[in-house]
Amino acid sequence: MATKSPKFLFTQGTNRYRAYKFAGFALLTLLILIVAFAYNDTGSITLFDNDYKFSITRVTKSISFMVAILGLQVVAGFTGQLSLGQGFFFGTGAYVSAYLVADQDWAWFTSLLVVIPVCFLIGLLFGIPALRIKGLYLALVTLGMAAVFPSLIKLDFLLDYTGGAAGKQVDSDFIPPSWLPLDGIVDALHTIPLIGQYFGEGEGLSSKEEQRVWTFFLMTILALICFKVVSNLIKSRPGRAMRAIRDNETSAAVNGMSLAFHKTMSFGVASALGGVGGMIYVAELGIASEGDFTQLISILFVVGMVVGGVGTLSGAVLGGLVIAFIPDWASSTQNLPGVPERWLQGPTGGLILGVGLIVVTFVLPGGIIAGVRKIRGRIVQVLPETPALMPGVAGAAPLEPVSAQVSGGLDGGPTTADDD
Amino acid sequence: MELFLNRISDGLSNGATYALIAMALVMIFKATTLINFAQGEFAMFGGFIALVLATEQGIPMWGAVFGSMVITAVCAAGIERTLIRPFDPSDHLPLVIITLGLFLGINALAGIIWRFDPRAFPELFPSGNALTYGTATLSWYTVGTLVTIAVVSGGLTLLLNKTKIGLAFRAVSSNLESSELVGIKVGPTLQFGWAIAAAVGTLGVCVFVASPFRQLEPNVMVTGLIFAVSAAALGGLDSLGGAIVGGLAIGLVQSIAVPYLGIPSELSLLAAVVVLMLVLLFKPSGLFGTPQVERV
Repeated sequence: MATKSPKFLFTQGTNRYRAYKFAGFALLTLLILIVAFAYNDTGSITLFDNDYKFSITRVTKSISFMVAILGLQVVAGFTGQLSLGQGFFFGTGAYVSAYLVADQDWAWFTSLLVVIPVCFLIGLLFGIPALRIKGLYLALVTLGMAAVFPSLIKLDFLLDYTGGAAGKQVDSDFIPPSWLPLDGIVDALHTIPLIGQYFGEGEGLSSKEEQRVWTFFLMTILALICFKVVSNLIKSRPGRAMRAIRDNETSAAVNGMSLAFHKTMSFGVASALGGVGGMIYVAELGIASEGDFTQLISILFVVGMVVGGVGTLSGAVLGGLVIAFIPDWASSTQNLPGVPERWLQGPTGGLILGVGLIVVTFVLPGGIIAGVRKIRGRIVQVLPETPALMPGVAGAAPLEPVSAQVSGGLDGGPTTADDD
Repeated sequence: MELFLNRISDGLSNGATYALIAMALVMIFKATTLINFAQGEFAMFGGFIALVLATEQGIPMWGAVFGSMVITAVCAAGIERTLIRPFDPSDHLPLVIITLGLFLGINALAGIIWRFDPRAFPELFPSGNALTYGTATLSWYTVGTLVTIAVVSGGLTLLLNKTKIGLAFRAVSSNLESSELVGIKVGPTLQFGWAIAAAVGTLGVCVFVASPFRQLEPNVMVTGLIFAVSAAALGGLDSLGGAIVGGLAIGLVQSIAVPYLGIPSELSLLAAVVVLMLVLLFKPSGLFGTPQVERV
């Protein structure tokens, strides 16, 4: 019941709701701009003599994880097929695009024309065993595939293409087009009073910095496209079928949904997204090495999905940030008062992520995003558009419980699609 | 011929260690139909504890292994009580997530405490060969692993068939709800299963790294778990005897089929995964497992 009414109420379809949405997008754009221009070098926070780097290259790396986790959300979060093999496709995408760019002189983005179909087809092949193998067994098989990937890369007949244990080096950067006044933007931002000082020293960007900013922009746009595509997919007919399969396979089949088609398709889409993530990863890093694509990365993707929020799109964003930054910051923490130094060396990031995964499963089963929504629900509530047949009902006092119920179902809960 | 015999001997010793980890997995699967993804890491941690007990406390090697089995069993029982029992056993997703978290956490913890450089593990069995035939040899190590597995399977059979807690365990794994109704305390019984599994796994890793050709390091069981899982699946995930047969079979496939078919040695892991996939596709109950019947 309406114990505490939220401060702001928006009804879908009204101008106020549009303004609210617009403010959200404006905030997102502003955030992207700040990240791009304020942290293009090595922005860092110093705490207890530890340098926590927040540079843009790390953000770009986290974008690659976000897209891969987004794929995992499609197959595991929305279709309910727990796959521990997302790293396999992440690696495939990375190596295919590295090969095309380094050896065939393709551009990064045209390599996607090969990466996406290749990963999609391999994903379909993965999906076929998933028709018979269910639940836990599927997790086993996919984990096995992810574990095999590094040894596949080191096969003799693939050495010429993959570079074997040494890794595949790619020297191809994104050169910003000359018409884009990156220097001008950063200078303009620098003149803003108060906050301007955070945007560079006011002498423009070096070419290295320009490349970083440009890479970040391109990858952000690519990621936004991926998120929009998945958001539309989830809201459309196949997306509803996927969620029906997740919630109850038998009833989905009884209602006329083809389990075989939707399961294999969701594997295909997830793998294609994994491949796109891999391409972003290798484009940012400049090298694909097999040590990065062990089963550990697949498990990290699951960590990201669960910590962010299973079955949510914004959870993928949070998850990507978590698995990119926590290991990095943990290894930058070299001295902490009260903690012996030897405990801060070594894989502290893995320990934090492992413990964090367990804690989140206990405390916030819906992931961080469920907590965020709970807090947001206290402040902002979005009401559905008033049906034309019942004019003026939604706001009317006698029917208050009904409207609260409906909006609660649409706005809360970890299963709702969200297009952040 | 001699090479063939050598490969059989290698395969049996590898297979015996896979079988031990597979038995640990089966102990937990039998009772809860859950795969403990952290089983290999529990065992690796136990291996390190045994090494520390032996080298730093000066306990004789077999005593250290036994002590470590007891310690890991107690720890596993504690983990079961605090992290596993609060969840609904029929909903697998949170439980899998928890074991994945344990996998990451324990692996990292071992890396922090003992670092990632490989360490030599004292030999548990006499060095040298028990039998020699031309250039073919049967090392005491192979004999030792086979004896270990015989002792463990004998011990487990006795434990499950002749003791009260063993009877309770078999009742719980056969039907959880009915055994609850006849007054069996399900929680402590499952805890017992986790403890036994951890102890058997620890023994498995100790035997595995006691080979003169292997060393102990935190990632030693990361791929070993995959071999053990496919061994368990091949034998049937709820059959202890099946785990032994499956483990030996996977070990033999790795050491015989892989070189004779000209498959590069890096791909022996792929062979294990392919076996796993084929078994689950065509005979999900494995060789000796109970077929699962789903009621709609």
